[in-house]
Amino acid sequence: MTADILTVEGLRKFFTVKRGFPNPKTVTVRALDGVSFTVKQGEAFGLVGESGCGKSTAGRAVLRLIEPDAGTIRFAGQDVHALDQSGLQALRRKMQIVFQDPYASLNPKRLIGKTLAEPMQVHGLAKGKDLDQRVAGLLAEVGLPQEAARRYPHEFSGGQRQRIGIARALSVEPELVIADEPVSALDVSIQAQVLLLLRGLQEKRGLSYVFVSHDLGVVRWFCQAVAVMYLGRIVERGPLPRMFDEPLHPYTQALRGASPVPDPKAKVQMMRIEGEVPSAANPPSGCHFHPRCPHAMERCKAEYPAWKELGQGRGVACHLFDQ
Amino acid sequence: MAEAPVLSVQGLTTEFRIGGQWHAAVRDMDFQLARNETLALVGESGCGKSITALSIMGLIPKAAGRVARGRIEFEGRNLPDLDDLEMRKLRGDRIAMIFQEPMTSLNPVLTIGFQVAEVLRYHRDISASEAREKALAILEEVKIPSARQRLDDYPHQFSGGMRQRVMIAMALACQPQVLLADEPTTALDVTIQAQVLVLLAELKQRFGMSMIFISHNLGVVATIADRVAVMYAGEIVETAPVGELFDRPTHPYTEALMRSIPRVDRTSAELFAIPGQVPPISRMPQGCRYAPRCGLKQAICEQQSPPLEPLQGTATHFARCWVRAGGAA
Amino acid sequence: MSAADATAPAQDGGRARAMRQMLRALNANKTSWVGIVTMAVVILIAILAPVLTSHDPLEQNILDKLKGPSAEYVLGTDSYGRDIWARLVYGAQISLWIGTVSIAIAMIIGSIIGMIAGYFGGKLDLVIMQAMDVLLSFPSLILGLMVVAMLGPSIGNLIFAIALTAIPPFARIARAPTVSVKERDYIEACRALGYSHPRILVVHILPNIFPEILVMGSLWLATAIRVEASLSFIGLGVRPPTPTWGGMIREGFEHILDSAWLSIAPSIAILIVVFALNMIGDGLRDVVDPKLKGERGG
Repeated sequence: MTADILTVEGLRKFFTVKRGFPNPKTVTVRALDGVSFTVKQGEAFGLVGESGCGKSTAGRAVLRLIEPDAGTIRFAGQDVHALDQSGLQALRRKMQIVFQDPYASLNPKRLIGKTLAEPMQVHGLAKGKDLDQRVAGLLAEVGLPQEAARRYPHEFSGGQRQRIGIARALSVEPELVIADEPVSALDVSIQAQVLLLLRGLQEKRGLSYVFVSHDLGVVRWFCQAVAVMYLGRIVERGPLPRMFDEPLHPYTQALRGASPVPDPKAKVQMMRIEGEVPSAANPPSGCHFHPRCPHAMERCKAEYPAWKELGQGRGVACHLFDQ
Repeated sequence: MAEAPVLSVQGLTTEFRIGGQWHAAVRDMDFQLARNETLALVGESGCGKSITALSIMGLIPKAAGRVARGRIEFEGRNLPDLDDLEMRKLRGDRIAMIFQEPMTSLNPVLTIGFQVAEVLRYHRDISASEAREKALAILEEVKIPSARQRLDDYPHQFSGGMRQRVMIAMALACQPQVLLADEPTTALDVTIQAQVLVLLAELKQRFGMSMIFISHNLGVVATIADRVAVMYAGEIVETAPVGELFDRPTHPYTEALMRSIPRVDRTSAELFAIPGQVPPISRMPQGCRYAPRCGLKQAICEQQSPPLEPLQGTATHFARCWVRAGGAA
Repeated sequence: MSAADATAPAQDGGRARAMRQMLRALNANKTSWVGIVTMAVVILIAILAPVLTSHDPLEQNILDKLKGPSAEYVLGTDSYGRDIWARLVYGAQISLWIGTVSIAIAMIIGSIIGMIAGYFGGKLDLVIMQAMDVLLSFPSLILGLMVVAMLGPSIGNLIFAIALTAIPPFARIARAPTVSVKERDYIEACRALGYSHPRILVVHILPNIFPEILVMGSLWLATAIRVEASLSFIGLGVRPPTPTWGGMIREGFEHILDSAWLSIAPSIAILIVVFALNMIGDGLRDVVDPKLKGERGG
């Protein structure tokens, strides 16, 4: 059993928005409503779900890029939520983030070399010749030519920019990387290149990942464990590939069934689930999934199902598993 | 294919002006679309799949682009020969198109009912109330819940999936012969995507129309297509009935593409990345356009462009490859 | 996979290319070149003032007063017999100096205020921008008038007054792009990398919003020169006998009926400079952001 690097418990974040004119109403969006999960050392942990389920917010809350309202985050035994500014500074060397949109994640006015050198200067990790060498090392590690340091972001393709974003995250030698949909903006063939790069780094540097994605296929290939989120809550969690082979929660089953497979013979399996994803500002009563659930019972409408641990790392929040 | 095709594209070449020179974004496209058939155009960004659709629709921006060569035959007429007025009459009536972005494809200041009815009133000589009734019927057809109440709602009151349904309703209002669907589910969540795909398949059957479905997602293509054309750098590199293509991907690009997709239904230890990237249209290589990234390339591949040829023993499976399909080597 | 999708991008460096793009865009707008050349000539004349004239702008020659243009006095003399050409070129020094310094001050302070308001947001933003709006509601001439009337006319007070009127527009122009840039992923990446707020503001946000501030600067420079002239005209500017364009118009005004050129010469100078600066500003603005068309200092 390897050690846990990240433990998140009861993470909560509500956003309040004012809507309407001329009488604005305050609406509370429950982006995260009691999210708990654990990431093991060297593991890639997936957070999957559809848009608005809170998976990206969870990733950012772990880094405290968004301040959570409640909950505890423990990183390598440290209480992240309690850290002061200087503690946070130190923490941010160990946890990094890779973004989805390679066109928005690099400063257009900055040379790549500067973008990569700056974190090491700020944290006093290197200077002078050593700094140049480290920048060169990072570029080589992510598979970019040395000349890249003297160029601007607009000179690169999406896949190359994503490599630069990864190199920037690696510059401070983190132990955990939050990867927020790192390949969803890329073409399939480039997506595979970046996934292979991330996997290589996991092996070589012993990195752990929180891998946020909407693509179950990518998560199955990349992650060792996964949690499925729906409207700000985790509905099922477990190791991969078992969880996608035998999904328990009806929502996981629906997601799995709706995920297209490159095999025309598999299309009959394509499962339809009715209805739209409700708004997180106004989630349904009881179990949030019950209006779309083929197995919904009376009690599902009234009461949110408690979390049940099923052993072997699996857990689910569903009344079907109450006994 | 005994029946005459509904749409026939021959030698279509569409060019764009970059830095004062014309470059082909789509080159020598040939394909036929049979009645009630779904042909999927699949490929990565910049492969020319959307340009092909816009060329058929006559929507290539005149300032920067042109259909340079080729015929697009539809209902006995060659579309590039038609003038603007004739093309406008055709668009939205006989040939309709839906786009990727359901968020921006609807006018935010007009009601849903008005926008659907407008298509009908433009192309059919009917009264406002008649058009409204027909709009309601078609919105029910695309399964908008409580459509009657929602007729006077505005687009922002609809979710992305519902907006895409409205777009589909507008496209189908006049019962077109051909529907061009350009990445219609890419912006949607997977569960909503599944709903829209099933809806499109149902409607296609019911209306007896033909569909060109453009996508970058091989999983979606496997679900909806009858026949697939894989595009790379402005050319069709392989085309076959959907089962045949997925069973026997022959062009090295098709094969690599299939191996680069992580699958949700099975554990694949190996993930294959295609090295390099698609060349920009202003700097296309000589010979086979995929050659610089191809693991099987031989001398001839870099000198001569291979033709799209049938594979041995089939009449429906074509590939553009010297090594795997042609007689060379 | 190594240098997998890393085909070599274009050969030249990005900065050089950005420079060329800027020049090309400026070229498309021919009038901006007229402005640039005109301003270059004006600045050159101001710098070379001692070479371009043999007369001292303060030297009175009562016998030669109100003379028309001649070989000795290129543009004639004023009512004290001072050489108008000499006063004009030395006046250019002072007018340009007051304009440039006051706008530079406004640009720096206004940008800092606007960026801080936009970056931190919330109540701070609200308070700062309300204060700016109050200042903005005074026409710049009136505000300048009030300040100089309270503090007394001097070059320093004049610069202070003009800078004060120009701070709010700079704060606004700096705030808007800051608000949008701070939402970008690369700024979030900076926070994730543990950079300090001042560092993020100066190193990462400023270069992204600087072009817009610069455009505003060139447009407001014209306004500053106009305000300086106006204040000097009503006697609240630089004290005589120091030559400034506004002061020269006022002095000439007493003889407008018999010796009109005394006022006309400095008026034309102001006209040329204001036109030239606006041409430059328009050109720059079209390069930086075509959406801003129509925005003006003043």
